[in-house]
Amino acid sequence: MAVCIAVIAKENYPLYIRSTPTENKLKFHYMVHTSLDVVDEKISAMGKALVDQRELYLGLLYPTEDYKMFRKLHNSYTDVMCNPFYNPGDRIQSRAFDNMVTSMMIQVC
Amino acid sequence: MGPAPHKGKTAQAGARTSRASRALRSWRRPHAARATITQHEKGGHDREGHGGCRRDPQWASAGPQPLSFTEEVKFELRALKDWDLKMSVPDYMQCAEDHQTLLVVVQPVGIVSEENFFRIYKRICSVSQISVRDSQRVLYIRYRHHYPPENNEWGDFQTHRKVVGLITITDCFSAKDWPQTFEKFHVQKEIYGSTLYDSRLFVFGLQGEIVEQPRTDVAFYPNYEDCQTVEKRIEDFIESLFIVLESKRLDRATDKSGDKIPLLCVPFEKKDFVGLDTDSRHYKKRCQGRMRKHVGDLCLQAGMLQDSLVHYHMSVELLRSVNDFLWLGAALEGLCSASVIYHYPGGTGGKSGARRFQGSTLPAEAANRHRPGAQEVLIDPGALTTNGINPDTSTEIGRAKNCLSPEDIIDKYKEAISYYSKYKNAGVIELEACIKAVRVLAIQKRSMEASEFLQNAVYINLRQLSEEEKIQRYSILSELYELIGFHRKSAFFKRVAAMQCVAPSIAEPGWRACYKLLLETLPGYSLSLDPKDFSRGTHRGWAAVQMRLLHELVYASRRMGNPALSVRHLSFLLQTMLDFLSDQEKKDVTQSLENYTSKCPGTMEPIALPGGLTLPPVPFTKLPIVRHVKLLNLPASLRPHKMKSLLGQNVSTKSPFIYSPIIAHNRGEERNKKIDFQWVQGDVCEVQLMVYNPMPFELRVENMGLLTSGVEFESLPAALSLPAESGLYPVTLVGVPQTTGTITVNGYHTTVFGVFSDCLLDNLPGIKTSGSTVEVIPALPRLQISTSLPRSAHSLQPSSGDEISTNVSVQLYNGESQQLIIKLENIGMEPLEKLEVTSKVLTTKEKLYGDFLSWKLEETLAQFPLQPGKVATFTINIKVKLDFSCQENLLQDLSDDGISVSGFPLSSPFRQVVRPRVEGKPVNPPESNKAGDYSHVKTLEAILNFKYSGGPGHTEGYYRNLSLGLHVEVEPSVFFTRVSTLPATSTRQCHLLLDVFNSTEHELTVSTRSSEALILHAGECQRMAIQVDKFNFESFPESPGEKGQFANPKQLEEERREARGLEIHSKLGICWRIPSLKRSGEASVEGLLNQLVLEHLQLAPLQWDVLVDGQPCDREAAAACQVGDPVRLEVRLTNRSPRSVGPFALTVVPFQDHQNGVHNYDLHDTISFVGSSTFYLDAVQPSGQSACLGALLFLYTGDFFLHIRFHEDSTSKELPPSWFCLPSVHVRALEAQA
Repeated sequence: MAVCIAVIAKENYPLYIRSTPTENKLKFHYMVHTSLDVVDEKISAMGKALVDQRELYLGLLYPTEDYKMFRKLHNSYTDVMCNPFYNPGDRIQSRAFDNMVTSMMIQVC
Repeated sequence: MGPAPHKGKTAQAGARTSRASRALRSWRRPHAARATITQHEKGGHDREGHGGCRRDPQWASAGPQPLSFTEEVKFELRALKDWDLKMSVPDYMQCAEDHQTLLVVVQPVGIVSEENFFRIYKRICSVSQISVRDSQRVLYIRYRHHYPPENNEWGDFQTHRKVVGLITITDCFSAKDWPQTFEKFHVQKEIYGSTLYDSRLFVFGLQGEIVEQPRTDVAFYPNYEDCQTVEKRIEDFIESLFIVLESKRLDRATDKSGDKIPLLCVPFEKKDFVGLDTDSRHYKKRCQGRMRKHVGDLCLQAGMLQDSLVHYHMSVELLRSVNDFLWLGAALEGLCSASVIYHYPGGTGGKSGARRFQGSTLPAEAANRHRPGAQEVLIDPGALTTNGINPDTSTEIGRAKNCLSPEDIIDKYKEAISYYSKYKNAGVIELEACIKAVRVLAIQKRSMEASEFLQNAVYINLRQLSEEEKIQRYSILSELYELIGFHRKSAFFKRVAAMQCVAPSIAEPGWRACYKLLLETLPGYSLSLDPKDFSRGTHRGWAAVQMRLLHELVYASRRMGNPALSVRHLSFLLQTMLDFLSDQEKKDVTQSLENYTSKCPGTMEPIALPGGLTLPPVPFTKLPIVRHVKLLNLPASLRPHKMKSLLGQNVSTKSPFIYSPIIAHNRGEERNKKIDFQWVQGDVCEVQLMVYNPMPFELRVENMGLLTSGVEFESLPAALSLPAESGLYPVTLVGVPQTTGTITVNGYHTTVFGVFSDCLLDNLPGIKTSGSTVEVIPALPRLQISTSLPRSAHSLQPSSGDEISTNVSVQLYNGESQQLIIKLENIGMEPLEKLEVTSKVLTTKEKLYGDFLSWKLEETLAQFPLQPGKVATFTINIKVKLDFSCQENLLQDLSDDGISVSGFPLSSPFRQVVRPRVEGKPVNPPESNKAGDYSHVKTLEAILNFKYSGGPGHTEGYYRNLSLGLHVEVEPSVFFTRVSTLPATSTRQCHLLLDVFNSTEHELTVSTRSSEALILHAGECQRMAIQVDKFNFESFPESPGEKGQFANPKQLEEERREARGLEIHSKLGICWRIPSLKRSGEASVEGLLNQLVLEHLQLAPLQWDVLVDGQPCDREAAAACQVGDPVRLEVRLTNRSPRSVGPFALTVVPFQDHQNGVHNYDLHDTISFVGSSTFYLDAVQPSGQSACLGALLFLYTGDFFLHIRFHEDSTSKELPPSWFCLPSVHVRALEAQA
């Protein structure tokens, strides 16, 4: 179901990006890149409203029912961050994370 | 397209606002077909294929009442037929305010130069708003110089699309041409004829009587300069338009309710209503609603905002009831437009934002006013009649509440757009509505919603667009995204537009335009073309996308025919994206870079683009990567040293203190990274770089050299070839400083793949440098040394601190001497003026006697100054004199028995043997082992330092130091295994007994000054006895005395001992000779002499002389005397000691030696003393003399010995016994002569 999963750093560059149709990766790069505008907008809008925002889920760019997906991804991302050998800001190369993403992509397909 | 699904129907039950929002959500159509649109790489997006499914069923649900099935199908079918009737050219610049404008087309007729036309056009455009006389209304005019007539057909639908005025501009120079020109004007009028209210013709250049005729529709001007009244004419023209507009407005608004209201149609509807029942209530309502909407449009144009709001509201109600969706949408949009105009007097369109307000009827703060209750539609129910339109709108005037709130504007826009979307032919209308809504939202800063509208606009499918239109469309989308702050999307569309410029279907691709557009997308991809922005740490960006863009820039610039530009972009790509390129991509990129640079090499010049952008140069700091830069000192032999001035070099004249820690740790110098060595003018200097090739293939770096400043520097570039993904690889860059001063190494330059790069160290990240500034001192000569000795493979211990340029070695026997001849050649460019030679013997365990190295410099210096290329010679004497004493393990016992003793027979009863070694040592192992032990080779090492200087460097106080290492292997020659002394017959002499051992493998002769040569076979040991005069050591000049500061008595003693050793050595003069090798040398006993031996060799400080009959008696030789005659015996004491001695009592004891070990002391009857046998000596002062006299009378003949004994008393005990060494006296009494 998920065709592309990307983790973007705070400075707006990809920490991780993976897509299932491997033949046209650039297309997904473009897609994710352009959708960051919306994320930016949502974050700036939220920043005004609530400073201490505990809810990390910003919502959907496109309608999909799978909210669990984000939680799963975020938990796995937290694990990556907890790895003492990971420098925040580096590309994510964790195999566990990769497997999790793969499972998410296959899951619904 | 079936009926609205169930979901849609439930939606309409809800409140209007919520329905609208749901409708919007339905825009997000996740169809795969839609999603593809944004992802095209090249060319346009042909969405025509999906046109059929554009109409989403849910959109239909927005209507209050569903259209009957048949009617909707009919509409649909017709719509599909009428391709040509839809409006096809969207105006992407439209904004909501345009609804209140009157459209005037300005066109040239005949041949008018573009320049002239636009000059006039500009002036016409300046009259964009006019306050109408005697009212507060303002008219707004929109001028176009091009307007497609088919768009004009939609003028009834939205009156601002209607061309109401035509201004034509023409050149006419003769009256003859006039009729023809006028005819053209009429033809032009025909094009928009149906909608025109009025028209004008501006004729330029015509003079004469025609001009005199007063005509309202024609204005004559002599030329394009002389036409001051153009603006006035236009104002008049607009007023005339206003009159027509106002009359039309009143005409339509005042239609009697009984009159049949004509049905207004859009072009594609024209045929739809044929055959419909015109009398039906439904039809009438439709007519009424459309007409209301039309009147609203006219009111808006006529500056009656409030009136228009009322009309729109009424129209919305009417049309909603009959499900006339297209017109309902138009009415809603009109409502929105009017509200926008009310709320945002500043305007929503960017370019037309200069809408001036004169005598504004609307308070400026109205824009900010948000009244929640304003969305209520407050229309007087009485104004709505089913039969007709109530002309009296006065009741509604002043009700600003009719105006929509900002939130409602958006809701209504959504609704309107959802209605438009039902009609394929209304695509342009829908698109423009979307754009207008986006502009409004941009002002409201509601980016998210704006993006939804834009998203929808993207999906609106028009007919097959021309390439130019596509470009325009994508550009405008990009601009709108930029407007709402979606920079990435904006960049995306701009890029698509750029790609459209060069789509394969275009005959003449616009590479320049493409390139220009691509450049504009850079900020959206957060990409700057300055490589410095990337040098800080690792690159963090959207690399895949950025790389793509760079590739496109490269390609576009190449096709533009600007290879320099493509080289620059490609270099940039390679430099900044290196980490993200795959191995294959690296190869491809470098391949194409090399192709480009073969035609146009990359430079370090910034490239200025026409747009004002400057592309900074891209130095390849990563090809190769430099990790470490180190300035190398000159080789040790060439290093300059500063001569020590009187105060020492560290003391600068700046400070009055001789030493100051502040000077020593000067921070300024540290900051300057100044290195504490110097380079020399004219000498090759080196800088070492540690480089790394990150490429998966061999990297050829050409022309790699240093960039320096401060000193004229001749860089000698190097070419290198680094293996694929090499590790750190040392590269040495060299150059020659040509002048003196302070040189700073700023960086290096390379040529890689045909691109010249100047890489400055300051810009390199993660580089380690230990300073880059060095002082260059004036030129110095260079000295080269060659010697007569072979070079040595040994290198001396580096612990000495000096680096030795040459090592020579020589093998010598202990005690041997050799001459070392050194050739000094000046191989530099400066004359060699000064030379100083010093030597330093490296610390060695071996004790060294005598001068190891000695030389005379004077002869060499006589040849100075040494011009370049000249040679001088210099001789050094090497003399090795190590300890000749035997090691403990050597030749343990040379027993007294059974050895041959040369010299005198050992007959003295006072023989003393000194044994330096402990007795009872374990007996040595068998002989075979011994040989190895004796041939133990010792090593002596010394360094000869040649300090030399000359030329300008000398005047600056610098010199160079060349070190010659000397390695001497000393083989043992002879050993003295044992030393002992034997007293000689004279107290002034003694015998030195030496056991000499030949440790060489050759026959060897040993000789002394006084004795014959002693031949020793290899490994043989013999004793030799040397008679020596005792030494009066006290008489040595107290040379160490002048070094009085060395108060250490031990040291003094040591020196004294050495002096004694030297004295003894020179007196003995022991030499050895190996005849077979023709080698000879000295042998020294210095090392063997211990205290006891020395004492024996020393003259006692108390000198005793015994005189028999006035003859000194000190020898073995007997003093002769006659029996019966008294013999005078005198004992003299000379005190050489520094103290007074005595008094002493001496007793003379005569005895006879029977030569068999028996001494006969019982001689009372043979010898009698004349006087006492005991003598007394008074105390003797230092260097004083004293004597005592006695006499003996021998009664019989015979050999007698006199033993003079001291009385044991306290005074004599203090002194060492050796001081009381009196000669024995041998007296031979003879028969008295007859």
